[in-house]
Amino acid sequence: MLIFKLMHLIRGYVVIRSDAINSEKILNILRRKNITVWDVQKKDKGTRFKISYDDYIKNYDLLKEIIKPAAKRGALIKLKKLKLRKGFSIGILILIISLYLLTSLIWEVEVVGTNQKNINNILAFLEENKLKVPFAISKTQAKKLETMIYNHFDYRFVDVIQEGSKLIIIVKEREAEPAEIKSNEPSSIIASKNAIVSKVIAKSGQPVVREGDVVYEGQTLIMGLVRKKNSDEFMMVPSDGIVYGKTYYNFEMKEAKVRSLSLATNKSKSVYYLKIKGNSIKIVGDKEPYENYNYREKVIKVPILSNITDISLLKGTWYEEVLKDIEIDKNTAENKMKISMYDELLKRCDDDSRILKSTINFSEDEEFYYLTAQIEVIEDIGERVRIYPLTEETEEKMEE
Amino acid sequence: MSKFNDFRSKLADELEIPNDALSDNFELSMHGNKKVIIENHLGLRVYEDNRVTVKTKDQDITIKGSKFKIKEINQYKVIVKGKIKEIVFSMKE
Repeated sequence: MLIFKLMHLIRGYVVIRSDAINSEKILNILRRKNITVWDVQKKDKGTRFKISYDDYIKNYDLLKEIIKPAAKRGALIKLKKLKLRKGFSIGILILIISLYLLTSLIWEVEVVGTNQKNINNILAFLEENKLKVPFAISKTQAKKLETMIYNHFDYRFVDVIQEGSKLIIIVKEREAEPAEIKSNEPSSIIASKNAIVSKVIAKSGQPVVREGDVVYEGQTLIMGLVRKKNSDEFMMVPSDGIVYGKTYYNFEMKEAKVRSLSLATNKSKSVYYLKIKGNSIKIVGDKEPYENYNYREKVIKVPILSNITDISLLKGTWYEEVLKDIEIDKNTAENKMKISMYDELLKRCDDDSRILKSTINFSEDEEFYYLTAQIEVIEDIGERVRIYPLTEETEEKMEE
Repeated sequence: MSKFNDFRSKLADELEIPNDALSDNFELSMHGNKKVIIENHLGLRVYEDNRVTVKTKDQDITIKGSKFKIKEINQYKVIVKGKIKEIVFSMKE
């Protein structure tokens, strides 16, 4: 029945009202004429039913005498009406075409992930390649553009996304690589932190510290300056070796005995804003309706309108929260502080460091649990630095 | 029912083909007490809000109830919808 109705909705049908007392007679006449009738309903005055538009046209002469058409409905009938209203139809057609054209063009290019200078360079590059707004771009062209930008500029990553009438170019710059010291360049090894030297393994260069020496950050451990054989002259060499040192790390931490946690209730209230070019105008709803809350925003884009005019709706939701004090027990607090301490230690030490001794003390007062610790670690404290020969000018200055 | 029509009905049964293909007998099917479909009918005799009478070759079928609507009527079938309470078959004289 649904298909039947849909078919007639497309092809068109006529709603007929008959004031005749004997509606059966009319229905029987229509049946004999091979006209399908549906949705027959008895009304206060007469009967109402539907017949197809084709049948109505075919049997118009007969029908006009016995019945009155109440309404003509269906897609085909509407189209026929539109045929007569040429100006209106052309206007609608032009509107649809212009909307299609306007929304399929790129009206704004946004570059994300770099500084203003580079953004200007990219925009200039686009203009050089005849991509000046407004322009149309397909998916394959977007991929090509990605490759062009990637090849022309020195970026680690380039992605071109088309979002409505906006072209977003996401770039990621290459990170400056740390200057590596070549193995054949003269270098010394210096201390990267304060420590007590526990072992010196010098493969190349002149060690200047011994086991048990206290060294400070920046102090030379292995010098890349050695005396030439059978001569008083010195020569610069690349230093190589490992210097292990004992380092001490002190930690002081505290953890509150009672912590306030905000727990969400099921209550929430929404506020709606009209967003026009970054400015928000409140339409409906209250600001900050709760004392404690969690606020979330969601941008609702209106199809076509948002693409062309940069107008969108902003829905903000205030979720009510209540603050609740939770008491933390001693074990949990101590474990938490310990974990934080070791996390911190891992950040400060190398991967191959080894803990020699750790002294951890816990204490507490009315409000807090405290942790004080001293960790003794053995680790490689050496750091290679490039050394340069003194120029004549520098030597003269030093002499002065 | 005429003898010839009776014979055609029996033949259709023997040949296992739809009865209305050979005979003038009507076919009535019901969907619960909400819908009645009558095939091979000859038109309506009465259509009221609480009563619909459908003509067939040998008898009239009267459907009694309330809120009757004719969902579809054409040369072959009539679909009546509503709250059906009773169906009465009355032979033509």
